[in-house]
This record gives sequence, structure tokens and C-alpha cells, in this order.
Amino acid sequence: MNLTSPSALGWLALALPIVILYVLKIRMRRVPVSTVLFWQQIFDEHQPRSLWQKLRHLLSLLVQLAFLALLVLALTKPYFPWESTAARRVALIVDNSASMNATDVAPDRLGQAKTIGQGIIDALRHRDEMTIITAGTAPRVACGLTGHQRTLRGALADIEATDGPTRVAEAVTLARRLIGDRDQGEIILLSDGCFEDDEEIIGAEDLQFVSIGKATDNVGITQLQVRRSLGDPIGYEILTQVSNLGESEVSCRLEIDLNEEIVDVVPLTLAPGETWSRVFEKTSALGGRLVARLNHTDRFAPDNQAYAVLPDRPPQEVFLVAKDNLFLQKVLEAHPVVRLSLAERPPETVPPGAVLVLHRHAGNTLPTGNVLVIEPGGSTPLWTLGETLSNPIVVKEERSSPLLRHVRLNNVLMPEARRLEPLTDADVLVESVSGDPLYLTFDRGDEGKALVLTVNLDKGDLPLRTAFPILVTNALHWFAGDQGELRESLTTGSLTEIPIPSTEAATWNLVDPRGEELALSIADGKATIGPLDHAGIWTVRPSSIESAEDEKRVEPARMIACNLASKRESDLRVPRASLDESALLRAGWGGRPLWFYLVVLAWLLVTAEWWLYQRRWIG
Amino acid sequence: MALFGSDFLRKLEYLSLVSRRTFRGQLLAQRRTMQHGGGIEFSDHRDYAPGDDFRHLDWNVFARHDELLLKRFQQEEDLHVYLLLDASKSMGFGNPPKFDLARRLAAALAYIALADLDRIALTVFADTIVDDFPLARGKARILTLMAFLEGLELRGRDTDLRGVVRSFVHRSQRRGLAIVISDLFDPKGYAGGIDLLRHHGYEPHLLQLHDHTEANPTMLGDVELEDIENGSVRKVTVTEANLRHYRQLFEDFQKGVDDYSHRYGIGHTRSTADVPFDDLILRMMRAQGAVR
Repeated sequence: MNLTSPSALGWLALALPIVILYVLKIRMRRVPVSTVLFWQQIFDEHQPRSLWQKLRHLLSLLVQLAFLALLVLALTKPYFPWESTAARRVALIVDNSASMNATDVAPDRLGQAKTIGQGIIDALRHRDEMTIITAGTAPRVACGLTGHQRTLRGALADIEATDGPTRVAEAVTLARRLIGDRDQGEIILLSDGCFEDDEEIIGAEDLQFVSIGKATDNVGITQLQVRRSLGDPIGYEILTQVSNLGESEVSCRLEIDLNEEIVDVVPLTLAPGETWSRVFEKTSALGGRLVARLNHTDRFAPDNQAYAVLPDRPPQEVFLVAKDNLFLQKVLEAHPVVRLSLAERPPETVPPGAVLVLHRHAGNTLPTGNVLVIEPGGSTPLWTLGETLSNPIVVKEERSSPLLRHVRLNNVLMPEARRLEPLTDADVLVESVSGDPLYLTFDRGDEGKALVLTVNLDKGDLPLRTAFPILVTNALHWFAGDQGELRESLTTGSLTEIPIPSTEAATWNLVDPRGEELALSIADGKATIGPLDHAGIWTVRPSSIESAEDEKRVEPARMIACNLASKRESDLRVPRASLDESALLRAGWGGRPLWFYLVVLAWLLVTAEWWLYQRRWIG
Repeated sequence: MALFGSDFLRKLEYLSLVSRRTFRGQLLAQRRTMQHGGGIEFSDHRDYAPGDDFRHLDWNVFARHDELLLKRFQQEEDLHVYLLLDASKSMGFGNPPKFDLARRLAAALAYIALADLDRIALTVFADTIVDDFPLARGKARILTLMAFLEGLELRGRDTDLRGVVRSFVHRSQRRGLAIVISDLFDPKGYAGGIDLLRHHGYEPHLLQLHDHTEANPTMLGDVELEDIENGSVRKVTVTEANLRHYRQLFEDFQKGVDDYSHRYGIGHTRSTADVPFDDLILRMMRAQGAVR
């Protein structure tokens, strides 16, 4: 037997005062009595027991010494050599993915996993170590290797349910890394089996799989996306997918609403295993929260509701300075979000958010603000105007630019386009075969954006092409910044980046669908968000927002929709061959440290001494 | 507080009045002794012996039966009251000490007796007779007696009532009432001494005193029991069971005194030491049927 703390043997010195006190005997209390007649009768009757009474005191001394010896031995924390070699290192992987929220078992699958986990912790033997790893959304070590059962129990109880995907493979890898090459290493997986590569994982020798839950039918929304229409500036399209992941036919109703206003209701009848999908086309200049709800009761709620964020289309002020160009005027008037104003002269400054369109502008300066110059009429500090190009042929288009999205200009006739030589840094989007820029942008810093199209609209056929309104729409979107961009609905567990305006607030918070806030760290004007572990609408907002009124003003562009959107998680029909967990619970029977038994023995001795003491008083 | 203060004397006077009104002739005074002599009340006959006074011959019996029988008459005499006061150290036990009540009782009984023209004598004893107040008559002697009582001290070792009574009865004195005021804690037994009194023609009366803690001790655990009479020490471990046993033995002892008194028709009054002496005297009177 080895001692962990041999220095604790020094406490044995306490035996000395115990023996001294016994030898000296504390002076007995003297009680005067008027006569000892009666006492003599009592004690003379019990004379045969006097030897026992003397021994009783000696026995008390021995019990006290034994008590001290046991306590001191317990303080040294003794252990047998085999204890350290037989100690196990256990990695308990708890699946807290979305499917573990299913309520086919009480209270839910995660709750049952925790109950089993608590039993496994209770069954740990002395010197065993355990780590707890969660396998939902992203593998996370909930508790490092420790043998302290209370810590382990607390960590297990603190594991929260997520709506994320199962990451068992990564969790098992992490567990193997933590266990190392220990001979007595064990991995215990508590999961419902809703994950990929299951056979390989479950079949591993060092892993014991405990299946949670039972095969259950489920119907869920497995996809919801929304985007602005390419042709209609205020139109949008909703992609919806509903799957019946059960063994029987299901009738239900799909309801879609935008900002709590009903958009559509679709009755559905789905055959077993059927996946139904449809694209809805709707129009609205307003953006906001789009929610799809499945009116169906089943054992798995997270996929009965899905979210999307529809970008807003706010009105855009456009000032047109042009002479008799109906093409340009009409294409702007036809744009549903444009508020067009005609002007004779360009203003000195363009209001923020507005766009000034200059046609054949002959001035030598550009006003401050966003300016679209078509067929420039003179030189400016940004460029020098040259001769006309007789019939330029487009050979280069910057197709990745949002300004040329869905636009092809390579076979468009553009006679008498103006030659233009940039004097500052310019981004050429369309270039002719002679190398002359036809469509280019200037970054004027704080003075705003400038976009120049050198094409003569009266001579060419560009105004007659479908590309022209798209070109103008792209330009207006470009001037408007990110407004109107599509923000994709993300799946749980994913990461994303969101641009943060540097001017609005110093600190920003991320608010999850449950309303809990987390401070964001911003780098280079962007914040990385995720992995998103709950389905719903996540919001990025300045930390200064406190009231509900302020919250309503959060722009849709700063809202992120997050959905489960995973057939694997929604499919609860996953029967698995599982280990009987009772085998795990038996593993630690009687597994207490030696010092525990020594303390118990000491406690028994105290009881014996107490009995002896009481015998002296009560008889 | 003085042993015999003004309050004590006032109570004595009251007791004296009560005793004259109702007690007189029943307990102490005018009590018929067994002395035969010149009284007027016929007692019995005895055979004539030469030298007897012819005047006492019963001529009627001689005329009828031809026998010479002498008529005997009971002689009325004033009563002799002997107070035997225990002054052993065990009488100093308790709060208040038993000895204080014992002395007050002795003074009170003496006063009542003296007030009825009886004679009293006080014998103080422990292991032997340690002091005496000689036979006295007349109320005037009460103050002397009180001074005597106040001057008494506890002394001696183990109480020896038999030895004390043996010395007492061998004195040449008239028989009378012998009131023993004691706790009766005699290692050799109290009965031997009382028997001697009876056998020698005294009429004993027991006034037994004890303290509450003697009847119901509370000490527990390892203790040294010190006998305050002889100073002996005994180391014992007192348990609850021992205490129960002690109480039973004490109760048996008291019952033994009761039985003994009843068996021999001895007057017996028992009390704790914390009761007023006048209450106890009245209780004695009630026990004798003098007061209701």
C-alpha cells in the first residue's frame, strides 16, 4: 500500500496528549453526600462488574487511539498499487444536437441522455477520470478530465439543447485525443444515432454506444429560402421544402407570413417518405421576417417552423439632369422604388442615399454624392474627355461585378461612344477592343461614388435591349450599398460574416432567438458569427439599444435567419443496436477510495466510544 | 438569619396557645405514666407482700375469696420529655441544613412541654452522647435552652444510635417520652437504638428529616462520593440506572421506617428540611388527632 501524503503521519503525535490525559486522569468531580449507605448497596451489588468498568476505561483509550490512527491514515490518502493501473479514463460524449430535442421519451432525448450520464458518473470508481464532450452544433469539451463527481454532474446538467447538427465524428476524434493512448480508455456515446458514418463510428472497439429514444415519425420543413426577384424590383421568391419522414401518410397545412401578415397557406398531403417543394412568387417592397409554419403536431418541434429574412426595398431618390432623353427618363420612371425628380441643372451636392444622373454633362466638376454620368460632355478632375469612338467592340466585361449582373454587352452596338482617359484610380467594368473604357467607376472617397457610361444612347441600340433596365437597376442597387441584397437563410451550426458599419456604434451585440445577448468582436468592419446553435432569427444590433421601440428599428440587413433544414436531424426513424446501459452503471460498484472506508471505520469507532460513554452515564 | 429570631418566638407562642386549647393532655402534659402509686384511679391488683400498706388491701376481695390482694392505683405525675437531637455531620447536609430545622423543632417541642409544666431534657448525640441539657422545668428555661441549641456544633463520625441509647437508658432517670430528631442514617441501623428505648420503658417518637437531594440525587458520570460524616471517599461511575436504583433504595428505607413505626405503635413524623418548623409541629398534632 502506498501513501499519497505521508507527511500527514505527523498527526499521530496527537496520540501523546491522549495517553497523557488518560494517565493523568482528569480530576473527578467530588460530590459530598450525607451518607454512602445506599450507594454502598448499589455498588457492592455490582462488584463483579468492576473489572469490566475498569476495562471500559482502558477500552475507551484504545478506541480513541484507534480512531486517531484511522483518521491519520485516511489523511495520508493510502492506495493500493493496482488502483492506479486499473484506473479508467472515460470520455462521455453527449449528443445535444437538434434531434435530441425529440420528446418521444420523457422528458426528451437529451434529458434521458443526462439521466443515463448521471448514472455512469455515479458508477465511476476511485481514480477513474472522465471528460464530458458535447456533440451538437460543434464539439465542445463541457468538462475536462477529472474524477470529481460533483463537477462532472454539474457539467452534465449544464449541457443545453441546441438546434444544431450532430457532430459525432468530430466529437469522437476529440475524445480519442483527450484519452490519449491510455490502456483503460473508454468512450461512451449517448446519442439517438441521427448522424452520418454511423456504422464506422459505432463499430469502433473503443466506443460504447447507448442509443437514446425510439423510432418516431416526423414531418418537418427541410428548406426555406427567400430572395428578391431578378426581374421585378419589388418581387421576391420563396423556396419551401417539406418532408414526411415517417411511415404513414400525413395531412397538414403550411402557413407563410411576412411580418405576421399572412402571405400564403397551402394544404399538404404527404405520402410516407415524400418531399414536397414549391417556389412562391410574391411582391412587396417591404422586407422583414418571413416565417413558415407547419400546422402539424409531432414529437419534434424545431423543424415545424422555419425563418427567412426578406431584404427591404426602400424608396430611392433619383435626380435626372438630361435633355430630351426619354429612354433614360422612362427606364427610371418604370423602376418601382425610384422617386424621380427632373432638374435643369445639377445640384451642388446630392443628398445621402440619392443618385444624380447626368446625361451629357458638360461641366468640369461633379457634385458631391452618388453620380451616374452617361455620355459625359466634358472633362472633369476625374477624367479627360477625348474623341468619339466610331464603333467600339466590347471585349472585356467584369462579370463578377454586381453592376454587370445578368447583363451582357458584348454584341451591343455602341457607336459614337466617347473616349475617356481616367485621371485617378478607376475600376473599368467594360472595355473596348482599343482598350478604351466604356463603363467604369471612380472611388471619390468621402465625396461619394461615381459611375460613368460613355455610350451614346441616341445612336446605339443599348436602350432597346433588355440589358438596359437591368443595367440601370444594378447601378441603383450599387449606389444604395447593400440594401436589397439577398441574405440567405443559414442552417444551424454554420458560420457567417456580417459587415458592421463603423460609424453607427462602438459596440455591437448578437441576440440569439431566445433573446440572450452576446458581445460581438469586430475586425476589419466585419463580425464573424456562429456556429449558430438555435433556429430562429438572430439579430446584430448596437449594444446601446435597450427599448422595444429601438429594437423594432433593427434593419432586416442585420437579421440572420437560421433553420434546422436538415433531413438527417429531422429523420427520427433511426433504430440502433445499443449497449445495455445497466452494464455501465454496474461498473463502479463499491468503487470508493480507501480513505473513505477508513473514515467509515473511524466513524464506527466514534459510535462505539459514544456507546461506552453513554454506558457510563446511563448504565 | 438567626436560628431563633423574634419571628420564631412569636410562632412558639402561637403553638403554645394552640396546644393549650386542644393539645393539652393529649400529647405531653397530664399524660398518664406507668408509675403506680398514690393516685386515685384504680389500676390493678397484686399479691400482698409483707410490709405492704394495709390501707391498700382490697377487703372486699378478701371477704369473698379469702385472698389478700393489694389494690394498685395509677399515679398521675408530670411528664418527662427527653429530646434526643442528632448532631452528626450528616445533619449539616442540605439547603437549608437539616440541623437548623432539627434545632428549631427541639426548641418548639421543649417550649410546648415547659409551658404545660412538664419537664424536658435534651441529649445531643452523634456516634456518642456529645452534650446534654439537664432536666428542666418552667417556661423560663426556654431561653437558656435556645442559647444551648444555638451553641451546638456538628461533630462526631458515624452515627451510632444504639450506642447512644444504651448510654442514655442506663442513666438513673424517670421514664418518659423520648423524641428522636434525626435523619436516621445510622450505618448499624436505627432500629436497635429505638428498640432499646422501648424495652426500657420509654415511649419513643421519631422525627425524621431529610433533604430533597438525598431523596433524588442528580449527579452522573465519574464522581468521587464523599461521606461527610466520616470523610470517606468512593470513586464510582454513576449512571442513570444507578440513580434509579438509589431512589428505589431510599424509598425502601423510608418505607422501612414507616413499617417499623407502625408495627410498634411509635409516633413518626417525616419531613424535608425546607418546611417551616411550625407547619411540622402542627402536622404532628394532627397526626395525634389533636388538631383537625
